[in-house]
Amino acid sequence: MSGGATMFTQQRPVGFGFTLLIVLLYVFLLVPLVTIVGASFTAGLLIEFPPRGFSLQWYREFFARRDLVDGLLLSLRVGAITAIVTTIVATMAALCGQALSGKRSGWFQLGMTLPLLVPELLTAVGLLFFLFKIGLGKTVLGLQMGHILMSFPYAYVSITAALRQVPSSLDEASASLGATHWQTFRMVTLPLIMPGVVMGAIFAFINSFDLYTISLLLKPLGGNTLPLALFDFLTYEFKPTAAAAATISIVLSVIGVALVQRLVGLQRAF
Amino acid sequence: MTLLGPSGCGKSTTLRCLAGFLEPDGGEIEVDGQSILATPSNRRGFGIVFQNYALFPHMTVAENIGYGLRLRKCSGSEIGTRVRDVMSLVKLTGLEHRMPREISGGQQQRVALARALVLKPKLLLLDEPLANLDARLRDEVRWLIRDLQQQSGITAFYVTHDQSEAMAISDMVAVMKKGRVAQFASPREIYQKPVERYVADFTGEANFLSCRSLEACGEGRMRISVGGAELDVDCVASLEPGEAAELLLRPESLQLATLGEDVTFRGRIVKSAFLGASQHCEIALADGGVLKLTTPPNDPVRIGDEVGIVVDRSHAWLMPEGTE
Repeated sequence: MSGGATMFTQQRPVGFGFTLLIVLLYVFLLVPLVTIVGASFTAGLLIEFPPRGFSLQWYREFFARRDLVDGLLLSLRVGAITAIVTTIVATMAALCGQALSGKRSGWFQLGMTLPLLVPELLTAVGLLFFLFKIGLGKTVLGLQMGHILMSFPYAYVSITAALRQVPSSLDEASASLGATHWQTFRMVTLPLIMPGVVMGAIFAFINSFDLYTISLLLKPLGGNTLPLALFDFLTYEFKPTAAAAATISIVLSVIGVALVQRLVGLQRAF
Repeated sequence: MTLLGPSGCGKSTTLRCLAGFLEPDGGEIEVDGQSILATPSNRRGFGIVFQNYALFPHMTVAENIGYGLRLRKCSGSEIGTRVRDVMSLVKLTGLEHRMPREISGGQQQRVALARALVLKPKLLLLDEPLANLDARLRDEVRWLIRDLQQQSGITAFYVTHDQSEAMAISDMVAVMKKGRVAQFASPREIYQKPVERYVADFTGEANFLSCRSLEACGEGRMRISVGGAELDVDCVASLEPGEAAELLLRPESLQLATLGEDVTFRGRIVKSAFLGASQHCEIALADGGVLKLTTPPNDPVRIGDEVGIVVDRSHAWLMPEGTE
């Protein structure tokens, strides 16, 4: 579907300076990634680039360490639940936002994206107090709630954008043919916004996987997410195990982006 | 029947109230004597065809048409037969597996029509269904809609701002003005015997001459004085003698004539245009009025000529003076 638009895009002549700028930008963005991935395969004992020889020993070391693997598993679990719950709630919120009109819709939009606008630390402190008040302080459930809150806007924005592409006359046509609201949602709306929903879920997952500040404050007793475990690890040791862990995170993110590309097409995602 | 009116006069709003997408501020909507205001749109059983077709883009043509049947839990084979039947009715056979974006606008509108008709609705609501089609397709789909409506016997409620479309397609036309029905009658009556200037103006080319009504001369007839002549013409029934009135003369009820014969008006040609099949000219009358009329293409028409005009009195129509 997106092919139709690009087919008619004219190729504009691009100056040398502009090309150079783009190249530098990419270098700037990619150097840390390339460095860390490269360093993770080193045969030496320190994080260094270029790597000294090639070995998988630091991956072995990573999977041998309980604290890091537990962190990875907790991050995966929290991320997966975040993706699922966030997507469902964000879909409902987006439908609600669409039903509102004019000014109220603007305020609703603002409210739904508030976690993006308020500094993460503030949200985290607020949540910490709240969770202790309701007896969920320092529990996995509390951490989970924090992650859902922080990832919600990403899913919401993506699903709202998809919903805006669905003309309201389709709802009306469906109703006139005898469909209930639920049937219309299931057979017309949901299939049409599915790309946005999938994208929202993947972004929610990636975001949750990366959260640091809020995890630090809300983490359960004795439990660490991967970013926290990694930071703890780096405080005492400077071994390429950290690079291996980072590479694993990068791979997961890349898989996410590849899924978006595969299912939706990146042009439509942004 | 058709709701006819300029944009913003409330015809689409009326249709949306009927469909149940809008709740009227007041009043009542009844079907067979029963109020349907409390019935949600999905249980009204009306078929609706939208201006922008509103096909489901993720379903094939056949799936679009079968959508309503699937909701009604019809068996697969019954859906298959009914979809096939209605598709041959709207001449779409062979396009079952195409997606809506792969077919033309005219075909899309026929799919929309089929999707509504396959459910045998009590009432078919059409909201400017031809507005997005080009002129040639518009004619084709218009006749198709008319034929289907006649065959199926389903009452159709048609909204348009195009008067020729309205007249060609409907048994009854309601001309709307600012949210109210100005006149509800057959196309012939709307055109020939409009109740007010607004209706006459909206239904086609028209000349209006203000005149004085002198005396009634029989049921619905009035003697008037206009442009130096006295005529007996048909008039709106409620018109009283002595009231200020306007005489409606459609261009086709006027004929050019040489002076001296039994002419109704005298005037001077001020504008003319050759249109191929006919000529269009405007004639200024002695009292300042202007008449537009069409003449056969080979009539000698020169600007500045003094001419006479013969009025076909059976097609002249007297209305109360417009309030606009």
